[in-house]
Amino acid sequence: MVRPYVVTDGRAYPTRNTFDLVTLVMAHPDRPLTGLSPEKRRVMELCLGGALSVAEVAGYLELPVSVTKVLLSDLVDSGHISARAPIPPAELPEVQLLQEVLDGLRARL
Amino acid sequence: MTDHISEAVSWCLAAALLVVLVLLIRQRQITAGVRRRNATLEDSLRARDEEARHLVDVRLPSIADALSQSGPLPGLRDEKLAGTAFAQSLHSVMEQFIRAVDKAQTRADASAKAALKASMRAVQGLANEQQVSISEMQERHDNPDVLRDLMEIDHANAQFGRRAQAIAVLCGSWPGRQRMASSLTDVVRGAKSRIRDYQRVQVHALIDVAVVSRAVEPAVLAVAELLDNAARHSQPNTSVEVSLQPVHNGACIVIDDAGVGMDGQEVQRAANLLSGQRAVDVSRLGDPPQFGFAVVGLLAGRYGFSVSVDTRSPYGGVRAVLFLPTELLTHNDPDGRPGAAGQDPGGAEPLHTIPSRRTRPVRRAPHAPTVPAQAQEPSPIPHQAPAPHQAPAPHQAPIPHQAQPPAPAPAAPAPEPAPAPAPQLSPDSEGTRVYGTTAGGLPKRRRREAGATPPPGDWTTGAGQTGAADSDTGAFRARSAKETASRMGAFARGTRSGRSATQDSAPHHDEGNRQA
Repeated sequence: MVRPYVVTDGRAYPTRNTFDLVTLVMAHPDRPLTGLSPEKRRVMELCLGGALSVAEVAGYLELPVSVTKVLLSDLVDSGHISARAPIPPAELPEVQLLQEVLDGLRARL
Repeated sequence: MTDHISEAVSWCLAAALLVVLVLLIRQRQITAGVRRRNATLEDSLRARDEEARHLVDVRLPSIADALSQSGPLPGLRDEKLAGTAFAQSLHSVMEQFIRAVDKAQTRADASAKAALKASMRAVQGLANEQQVSISEMQERHDNPDVLRDLMEIDHANAQFGRRAQAIAVLCGSWPGRQRMASSLTDVVRGAKSRIRDYQRVQVHALIDVAVVSRAVEPAVLAVAELLDNAARHSQPNTSVEVSLQPVHNGACIVIDDAGVGMDGQEVQRAANLLSGQRAVDVSRLGDPPQFGFAVVGLLAGRYGFSVSVDTRSPYGGVRAVLFLPTELLTHNDPDGRPGAAGQDPGGAEPLHTIPSRRTRPVRRAPHAPTVPAQAQEPSPIPHQAPAPHQAPAPHQAPIPHQAQPPAPAPAAPAPEPAPAPAPQLSPDSEGTRVYGTTAGGLPKRRRREAGATPPPGDWTTGAGQTGAADSDTGAFRARSAKETASRMGAFARGTRSGRSATQDSAPHHDEGNRQA
């Protein structure tokens, strides 16, 4: 019923470009919720339970991911949530290694 | 003698003269009377002629005009004819003419409405279809440039849909969509979505009242028309203030604009239309047609809310107040509304596949000893129970009872941390607890909330002993931060690796999910 342009007040560009589908956001419970739109309140409620990925937030809000990013950027700007950058590629296991493990498993089974 | 004769003759003559005179006078009187009567009749004839002409020239045309305005019809031109048979005949002519015009107009109106309704229904359907595709596109594309364009199209489409909907409603159609009960704030924001200058509309109070489902769409449409009027009749640099107020027997949506306002005549006309009493004539809404108030009045009459615009706003414009009575309101029911604040939507994911043996026994039965997992199983093997504990020998006595798990549970002495309570967990184990069900009949689960205790009323325990086999698989449990982190980390790693694997193979995603 409420269209995305009303949710973001007509904005399509997030104020920051740091959000990815898997960026984790965490709420700061000490921030006041006054003046927040219903969607932003809901983001706060969702994220108070722990870290939640952008994709999950979008899913719970039933909003497109791009619209969710605009909301989340606003919340980061106002200090209500903080975003944890995704894990840098250096820390991730090698695709090669995973492939080898997979091959090994396949060979065994 | 001759004297006598002449005297007699003269007398006779005199008498004759007298008679002639009398006759003459009488004749004259008669003639005058006849002439007078003739003149009167002539006058009357002329009056009737003129009356007939008046009927054709003035009275009959005025009927056609007056049908829509219900003003007083012009009467006889010559009052002298009142009460005569002629006047009555004229009156019956008028009556018949009125009936004929009325009939023709009703027929024309009905056919116009039917045609408009059918075409607007089609347009409305197309607009809804387009909205669905726009929503899908918004989901699919993650590029702000695309989103901006889609938002513009979406906005235009919403206005377009509202127009079609308003005309369809005016022509006797239903507002169209059935929605779930929504909060008053969402009703106003939904209305805001459908007008041109939505950015000027500022919604102030957020009150915890919802509108019942059948009244949501009409309320949205009515508020949208009022907001559109407010925004249209005020300067582009002013804002339209909307405040929501709970009142004694309902709730009010107050819309203030800082526009030009309305004069007495306009207020009167608006009040007339908003009363919803009179049938709306589609062909007489002006050019360009102004159906805002007519639609609002129609919806108000049909659904039982009321609208008034006769107050001046403190900003100089019009204050429109839409009053929703208690019958149309409900409380924000979180279960009825998946998206409601404070309520997590029921997860479709069957969480009982995720083991959570660490947290649950502690929360479920705080007095129970920390028993390893095997104790939670309805172990038919009696000597397994005391294994982790220094349970004394006497407790081995009720061994035969332990084979039936629920029996020893109440009998077991609480102060002694015996293993006996452990099987007690199994009948209503967490794996079988359900917190209500979704509309589709699937069990609902709570999203993890650290330390939250579920309302006991919501628990339905099922499956009994048979469900105890997977007793360590919970529908409700808290996840520790570490576990959450490790799981999210695994998710992140998986997504990353999946992406980096497909990145090279699919470089044509120029407007997909890749963010600069």
